[in-house]
Parts: sequence; structure tokens; C-alpha cells
Amino acid sequence: MRRLTKGEGVTGWIFTIPYLAFTFVFFILPFLWGFLLIFSEWNLISPVREFVGLGNLIEALQSRRVHAAALVPFKIMAIFLPAVLIMSLGIAVLINSFKKRQGLLAVAFFLPYLASGVSMSLVVKGVVSYTSPVNKTISSIIGYVPDWLGTPSLAILVIALMIAWRFSGYYALIFLSGLQSIPNELYEAAQIDGAGRIKSFFKITIPQLYPALYSVMILAVGLMFGVFTEPYMLTGGGPNLATHTWYLEIYYQAFNTLRAGYASSIALYNAIAVFIVVGIVRRIMQAWGRAHGWED
Amino acid sequence: MYRQRLTWTRAVRLADKYGTIGLRWVLALVGICFATAPYLYMTLQSLAPWREVNRRIIPTELTTRSYEWLLQGSATAVARPWLRGFGNSVLVTSISTVSMLVVAMLAGYALSRLRFRGREAIYKFILFQMFYPGIILLVPRFLIVRQLGLYNTYAGMIVPLAVNIWAIFMYVSFFKSINPAMLEAARIDGASEMQVLFRIVLPLSGSITAVIGLFLFMERWVELIWDLIVVQEYPMMTLNVMIATMSGPYASYPGPLYAASVILTIPIILVFLIFSKHFTQGFKFVLK
Repeated sequence: MRRLTKGEGVTGWIFTIPYLAFTFVFFILPFLWGFLLIFSEWNLISPVREFVGLGNLIEALQSRRVHAAALVPFKIMAIFLPAVLIMSLGIAVLINSFKKRQGLLAVAFFLPYLASGVSMSLVVKGVVSYTSPVNKTISSIIGYVPDWLGTPSLAILVIALMIAWRFSGYYALIFLSGLQSIPNELYEAAQIDGAGRIKSFFKITIPQLYPALYSVMILAVGLMFGVFTEPYMLTGGGPNLATHTWYLEIYYQAFNTLRAGYASSIALYNAIAVFIVVGIVRRIMQAWGRAHGWED
Repeated sequence: MYRQRLTWTRAVRLADKYGTIGLRWVLALVGICFATAPYLYMTLQSLAPWREVNRRIIPTELTTRSYEWLLQGSATAVARPWLRGFGNSVLVTSISTVSMLVVAMLAGYALSRLRFRGREAIYKFILFQMFYPGIILLVPRFLIVRQLGLYNTYAGMIVPLAVNIWAIFMYVSFFKSINPAMLEAARIDGASEMQVLFRIVLPLSGSITAVIGLFLFMERWVELIWDLIVVQEYPMMTLNVMIATMSGPYASYPGPLYAASVILTIPIILVFLIFSKHFTQGFKFVLK
């Protein structure tokens, strides 16, 4: 351990003051206020704030809108997870198979992540609109134009694929650095044992990618509970609450119906849901990792 | 006979080699087309005659009418200052990003390289903040901003997003990886902590700062929910929010909306491409 330099303690505090001041005003205060809000009914304007105890929390548990919001992450996940895993693994393996120009390819595949959800929603709205060229082609084959955003399952499909498109390049980079840390000897040994490419992909590559898969799974599952822009722009939560996400409901209750306390209660449930589901995914991934010789 | 067989196997091997290289490139190009298709679609539609928008993928002629319409501030009942919206986005995003970087560098340096009482406690609290769900803070944060008189102001968009916990965390772990002997040598030469930070630590942090800055910049640039609730008047809105609020009643003007989207997208892609050299270097550290 080196000696403390003169005034090191003071400098340390000075350097952390901006962070500390921010944390006090925008973390600790809202943190405490948030807990007060959960137990009160307040319309953001009136001077009257009524203490309602567990009223908000009980009401949220019984709300049809909250039930819908609790279900939507799983519906999107059912399409999003397989889609994004296949796409990002495919991109990573493809980039890794190049000897040169890996950086250039990584940059190109990362471009979707830069997209504004708002702009992409406009593009998707245009592409699925009634008179679009895509729909013209489809209707010439199946005989009618599908109502993409007005049919529950199709609306979920559209939103899930939009998010998968946006994140596939990002997750591919996580997989790419995982792929590059797999020792080549493993593949050579498998080749000697007569394993083909496909077999060594599933027997070596996938288990060796455990750290990358673990991060991607947690990021991807967590993401499902914070979807806002796409349904806000495209469906408004419809049809019949089929795409009504947590964030839409929180936003709607807080800033449309102006029920600050009720919205905060729903936010609390959202946090609990993320905590539980991500916890389960972690356990599953860790068990799978242990089965392939990884330590936690 | 022997010679002929040799060339035959060689030909097969060559075909195999170049075949897979060709196949790889074909796959890569298809993938890149897929990754960039929405951008291309948006650009083409923004230059299309209005009767063709969303009806043809490739327009029969190109026109700048959509862009002119935007510059005139939308010839509709409610005028919208699109250029100003772009300016607002630049202002809000650049100030926030610089602030997030500076605060994170200072705090990151103090928490990794300076010893002072309370350091461990602060670092633990940062970890807690990183995993605390931000959505619970949304409504009370809005109430605090309103209480401070920042509702419907630039400061209301900038200040609550002026510090980023993830960035502090990244700098702490990066600064920890710098060889302490270098810092010690400078200190023995009588350099102050400020000088150590600016002369030695920061020049080493180019790539990591580029990557962290890039992530902060692009996330701030397309922020929707916060900017949507804090600002209500058109002259204050960021371009992203302006497009979002217009898409309802203005759905009959898809061409100009695509034009606005192109204007929204160009800066972020430019910034990304400028820093892309650092991106591939520094990204690996960010992933760890």
C-alpha cells in the first residue's frame, strides 16, 4: 500500500461531489418519495393527498390492464428470444469465420442498434400499411391483406421482430468475443474424434459460449419488461390490450389519468416481476452452465 | 496420370476454399442488407413523390418536397419548428453526454485510485443503484423536476439525465486496470491529483471514453419517455419526441415524417462511423 498523498481524502470527496449531489436529488429523494406515493392517491395537481394504505397495490392486482401487462413480456419473449438468439449467433459465427474485415462487419451489423424506435416504428407502420408493396405481394398469394397491427398475434410478432432486429448486432458482438476466447484445441480434438461441423457447434461452441449466453439471456429477458416505444407508436397497447406493456400502463396511469400513486404501485409490481423472472433465468442458466463444467 | 489426379484434387480444394469464401460474403451482404434495409427504405420514401410514399419501394422520381415541407415548419394548423427540434436534440444530447462523461471520469478516478473515508460505501451504493429498477423512480423524479421549476425547460431534460451510473462503473473498472506505478511516479514528481488525472489517466482512456460516450450519446439521442413527459411545447421538444407526437393526427403526412426520421438518424450514424475505429477496440472492455 502506498502512502496517502497530501489532501488525497479531500480530493476524493471533491471528485465525487457531482455524483453525490445528483444521487441525493435524483435517486435518494425519489426513492423515498416513491414509497410514500405507493400508499397514497394523488392526481399530481390537487393539494389533497389521500393515504390509502395498500389500496393501490390491491387495485393493481385486480386490474385487467395490469394482468394484460404482466402477460405481454412472455408473449413477446416467445418470439423474440428464439429470433434474436438465432440471428445474433448466426452473425457472430459469420463474422468470426472471416479472417479480415471483422471490425468492418461488426460495425455494419451494429447499425440497427443506433435506430430510434420512433423512426423504426414509422418504417414498420409504412411497410404493413394496407396499400404497401409488401401487403400487395402477400395478398396476391393468400388472397387477402393481413391486418398486421389489428390482430393480436401478428401485432406481437411485429413488435418482437422489431426488437430482435435492433438488438441482434449488439448481442452478436457479445457472442463474438465469446467465440474468440474458445481454444482451438477443442475443435481439433473433436475433429480427430470424427465430429462434424454441426456436431462440434452444439457440443463445443454452445457450451463454451456459456458466459456470453448468460449475459445475453439476462439482458434479453430483462428487456421484455421495459418495452415502450414500439407499442406506443404502433398499437397504443391494442388490439384489446394484446400489446399493452408494463411501461405503457405506468405511463398511462401516471400521465393520462394522473394517478401518481397507482402508477408507482404498478411500477413496483413491474420491478418485482423483473426480479423474479430474471432470477429464474439466472438459476436455469447457472444450472446449465454447471452441467457443462462452468463454475458460477 | 498422377499429375492429373493432383490437379483435380487441387481444383476441388480451391473450389471448396473460394466457394466458402464466396458463400460467406454472400451471407454477410444479405445480412448487412437486412440490417440497413429500414434505413434505406426511410431514405427512399423521404425522397419519393407524396402519392408514392409507402406504395412503391423504389420511387419513380426523386423529389425534395418532404424536406421543403419540413423547413417551412409544416403548412398545417399547428406549425412545428422542425429545425429547432433538431437543434434541441443536439443541445440536450451533447450537454447530457459531456456531463455524464465528466462526472463519471471524476467519480471513477476517485473511487478507483484515491483513498478516502467512505469510498467503499459509495462504491457499494453505486452497485445498488445500477441494479435498482429505474421505473419506480420515474413518477417521483418527474415530481421533483416539477417541484424544482424545471418542468417544460431544457434543464428538465438535461439535469435528471446528467449522471450515468453505468458510466461511473465502467470508468472505475477501467482505471483499476491502469498500472499504479505510472501514477505513483507522477505523484513523486509533485503532480497534483488533477494533473495525474488529466496528463496520465485521460490520455490512456481514449478508446474507452469513445465507446462509453458513444453508448451514452446514442441512448440519450433517442430517449423517448422522459423527454415526452417533461416537455409539452413544440419549441422545446427534441426531434425524436416531435416525430413521435406527430405520428397520430399527421399520419397523412408520411413523407415528411420519413424526412424528419432521416434527419434524426444521420447524426447518430455519422458519430458512430467517426468513432467506429475506437469502437472495435474499446467494445471488448465494455462487454466484460
